Amino acid sequence: MSLRESAWRVSARELESSLEEEKGEGERATTYLLSPFGARMSRVLVAGSLSPAESIGRDESQTFWRARLSDPTGAVAVTAGAFQPRAMAQLRSASAPRPAIVVGKVHLFRGRDGVGYVSVRAEAVRSVAESEERACLADIVRQTLDRLDLVERVEKDATLTEEAARADGIPRAWFRAAKESRSRYPNVDRVAFRRELSNVVRRVAGESGPARATLPSPSTVTVTRAPPPRPAPPPPSAAERAEESLVLDQLDEVADVSADGYADLKEVLARASSQGLVAERAEAILNRLEEEGVIEEPIVGKLRRA
Amino acid sequence: MTAESSPPTSVETRLRDLRTDTSPVEFVARVVACERRDVTRKSDGSRRPVLTGLLSDGTATVRFSWWDPPREGIERGVVLRAVGAEVREFRGRPEVTFSWRTRVGPASPAELPRLDADEIPFRTVRDLHPSEEGFRIEVRIVRIAQKTVTVGTERRVVHEGLVADRTGAIALSSWSDFGLHAGEAVRIAGGYVRAFRGRPQLVLDDRSSVVRVDGTDLPDPAQLLASPPRSIAEVDDEGGGEAVAVEGLVVALLPPSGIVFRCPTCHRSIRSGICRVHGQVEGQPDLRARIVLDDGTGALTVNANRADTERLWGVTLAEAEARLRSQPDPTLIEEQMLEALLGRRLRVRGVGTHDDFGVTLTPESIDRVDIDLDAAAEELSARLGDRR
Repeated sequence: MSLRESAWRVSARELESSLEEEKGEGERATTYLLSPFGARMSRVLVAGSLSPAESIGRDESQTFWRARLSDPTGAVAVTAGAFQPRAMAQLRSASAPRPAIVVGKVHLFRGRDGVGYVSVRAEAVRSVAESEERACLADIVRQTLDRLDLVERVEKDATLTEEAARADGIPRAWFRAAKESRSRYPNVDRVAFRRELSNVVRRVAGESGPARATLPSPSTVTVTRAPPPRPAPPPPSAAERAEESLVLDQLDEVADVSADGYADLKEVLARASSQGLVAERAEAILNRLEEEGVIEEPIVGKLRRA
Repeated sequence: MTAESSPPTSVETRLRDLRTDTSPVEFVARVVACERRDVTRKSDGSRRPVLTGLLSDGTATVRFSWWDPPREGIERGVVLRAVGAEVREFRGRPEVTFSWRTRVGPASPAELPRLDADEIPFRTVRDLHPSEEGFRIEVRIVRIAQKTVTVGTERRVVHEGLVADRTGAIALSSWSDFGLHAGEAVRIAGGYVRAFRGRPQLVLDDRSSVVRVDGTDLPDPAQLLASPPRSIAEVDDEGGGEAVAVEGLVVALLPPSGIVFRCPTCHRSIRSGICRVHGQVEGQPDLRARIVLDDGTGALTVNANRADTERLWGVTLAEAEARLRSQPDPTLIEEQMLEALLGRRLRVRGVGTHDDFGVTLTPESIDRVDIDLDAAAEELSARLGDRR
């Protein structure tokens, strides 16, 4: 086995649908993101329309930039920080959406509500001609279909061994990924996913306009591993409402004076406790507000009004 | 194939049939290599001479140790008869030891075991492994070129090339001139296999024999060199190969890529003006790219030389040097190169070697591949079962 992880060709929808991780044993072990469609990813290659980047860094010394890469199936966040100076410079260089390809490491962030957000930490970004973007998307669809076929084959024939698959030219890594996909996502709707890939093929053929035109399409892929719905919480009492408004006031005040428009969680908690609200209580309130959609935490420890 | 098949009239054992349980043995063999040393005994500090080296009788090559050897007369090429030699096993391979009990004397080459042609097993390229010998093989010469090398103090001509049969290809290195030409089909006997840079290599010398055959079932060399690309995962599994073809996208460049400086004598890349071999030298600028090619199944490194790098990047060494003068930051050169190459689809053919970092390809050709988008869209939509 080569030491370098190969770059899995994936669509934005496949990344959005990936909610399972395989954590490696030991120090510096690779963590893999497992998709329902036969990918076991550390590194990925994605293509689509890349939006201008925004800074999400805490301060000047820790700059971190984020952009969105959209393809006809969805969108995924692409980030780069001080450890990816080249990719960061590339992300920052554009002022309008442009076709691009990105190679990077996948990262799954699971919010406190249990919802997973996948992002790609860019190692290399390049603005490309539209034809190159389409060629890359063709590669992505072809390999995705190959992987889907393999997952289905593994599903039909549980006795298929790695060696037998290899004799048919199937890489070990793909076989392993297909097996994992089958066991982690037993009931996923692959038919709906194939339908989404048709949109990408239309883009390859040059039919539709820029990919972002189709962005707000609702997800048609249901992934059964999504967290179970929680029971509806009891309506808050008047006292709780008062606490809520206190916390929100602090949040607004912190956000107003911060450089990036976000309120730092620690600062909000500190201010709330100086107003007589203990940190645990304030945190519980923030969680509830986030669940209710009043506020959001796009970056760990950074809050803003939704 | 083993002792059972040897004629019962012969008291000599063939080296191929050496077993520890047949010790002591009698055999006739030629000295292939030898070296004289003194071993100091720990108990009393006395020194005892020993001659060690390799013996071959055409069926196998074994190591030998000869305690208290004659002062002279034993050198490479001499044929010996040994009676009462002890057989031992070291790391799974038999070795022979000549002690005071062993009688060793000169013999004539005619006394070497006569190998009937059909006694030597036929092999295919796929099942040749390092340190294998005593086989026959029929192969097609795919390419061959001669080169002069320095072995110790001696200048020698070696004929290097590539041979193939239907099961695969293997590098050839011949220390003797058999007048080989590309395209010929030959039957080789008396060659051996060694590992060179992690790849098996078929070696011929003056003890080998080469016979031309018609080789109708051997592959066409042109076809072999134009075989379709295979998945990088497969190439990786096999640890490279002599005629590897792969296709993938450029996903990264490895350092050092860009402008490098080389020793004018040995062309090694130098650091801070110092060559590993020749010390302080005046470095000569060169352009190279260490491309990471990825096809979704695996990744390998392609070491592109100056000509390939200039062609792929579209910038010549002179232009790159001019850029370096106006922006004295060598990393910018690498950055601009990656900017031009990232995501490019390339088809690469060459020799693949394997080390701890995976497979590295030394390319013979690097070609850009442009895919036909309409055809791709049609094929993919057919696979998706779209009715359009």
